[in-house]
Amino acid sequence: MNTTTPNILELMDVSLSFHAGKKSFDHGRHHVLQDVSMQLYEGETLGIVGRNGVGKTTLLRVLAGILAPTKGRVTMARGKSASLLTLGLGFKPDLPGRDNALLSAMLQGSSRKQALSFLDGIKEFSELGDSFYEPVKNYSAGMRSRLAFTTALMTHVDVLLIDEILSVGDAHFRGKALAAMEARITGEQTVVFVSHMADQVEKLCDRVIWLDNGNIVAAGDSKEVTSAYTESVARARRGKIKT
Amino acid sequence: MSLLQYAHLIDIMARMNLRADATRFFLGYIWWVLEPLLWVGVFYFVFVTIMASREADFLMFLATGKLVFVWFSKSVTAASNSIIGGKGLVGKIDVPKSLFPMAIVQEGIYKQAAVFVTLVGILFINGYAVTATWWYLVPLLIVNYVVIVACAFVGACLVCLARDFLQLISLGMIFLMFTSGIFWDVRSLDAEKAKLVLDYNPIAFLIDAYRQIMMHATAPDMLHLAIIGAAFGALLCAMVLLMRHRSQYLALRALTA
Repeated sequence: MNTTTPNILELMDVSLSFHAGKKSFDHGRHHVLQDVSMQLYEGETLGIVGRNGVGKTTLLRVLAGILAPTKGRVTMARGKSASLLTLGLGFKPDLPGRDNALLSAMLQGSSRKQALSFLDGIKEFSELGDSFYEPVKNYSAGMRSRLAFTTALMTHVDVLLIDEILSVGDAHFRGKALAAMEARITGEQTVVFVSHMADQVEKLCDRVIWLDNGNIVAAGDSKEVTSAYTESVARARRGKIKT
Repeated sequence: MSLLQYAHLIDIMARMNLRADATRFFLGYIWWVLEPLLWVGVFYFVFVTIMASREADFLMFLATGKLVFVWFSKSVTAASNSIIGGKGLVGKIDVPKSLFPMAIVQEGIYKQAAVFVTLVGILFINGYAVTATWWYLVPLLIVNYVVIVACAFVGACLVCLARDFLQLISLGMIFLMFTSGIFWDVRSLDAEKAKLVLDYNPIAFLIDAYRQIMMHATAPDMLHLAIIGAAFGALLCAMVLLMRHRSQYLALRALTA
């Protein structure tokens, strides 16, 4: 992706910290992101890699406008919207899959009419059959994630933010989910894709950012950054085994 | 999010909460009517059977007061916990935070409709008639709704700032229950004290207004009602603006508090 493509979203020196309690971190302040600057270009797929707990989800929440930075600036191109692709949004186990899919689609911005029109497609893609009308509490974990993934797939936004979701269902459904996701990603859709699985990121993304302790350690070509990240993870693991 | 979409979401969230609730209980939706009837049954047992109540219509007096108060207290208490309770959703999507308390208040409206029907039924059985004065219930119900929504928003925001407020809110509800003339008649106090209670406790005024309309076919003090409506309406608008401008801060507090 070249830099002549217009910016759709930009972060300038973004920091986010919060008061986490009296005895934790530095006098109760928890710094999740520190001076993070990044650009997102229209139509690209940007990957974010990093271990658990380094601020990936918080960064996505800032990009989605769920959280505001404590310091710095987030600029979204005029008239554009970003949304987190979320599994099982607001699921209520006592209610049927159909009702949950309807609520989830509406929470993601669809009108009631649109959400109702999605239901047949959701039922078909999720391969739930008549279970679609049964309470979600009777579903197996796999069935639940199939419903959740399919509902989430219906979101239509300018920037799609995806947080570790491609490990859903059984092997058959996972293949289908990955193909559906790839179709979205390789199209005109702008995507930010977060994962700690480097191979998935390398395969799907044009550019990658490596996040560690709330800072950007490296950014650029997906192959270079993911291999540097994989090496560092392997080094850390070797170090741990030695000690 | 358009206003229509917002309204649809509130409605669908409320209905789904109710449906989920109903599936959990063997008696399901019957509880909507059964619960207020049991309340009245308890009052009957305590005040009429055991304490051999002083007034013939004391049971009606109690039922009206208590059932109106329960609408307020249950809605506000549940709504206060709603943003924190919905933090799974708050962390995943940037929706207006007012959606959470509003869905709870809406749920309360559906339940209260059944309660009011029950109450009117009980009044009928006891020989009270519907009169033209009952039209005053329309503005009264609207003002009551505005008071509930405004308090629900304040409670939900306070609990986001510190969960300790939940304790204070439930204590406040007990305080209000005893000071709003549910078990005793504001009008039996001497004039000065009655004025003090009605002037400074809007819940006491609202409860008294329901009794005046439904039991005594008397119009409530409409100026007083309008003042309460305007004051809480202004508070509601201020809270809507606050929640809109501080939406991300509320999300951070709900996720990290």
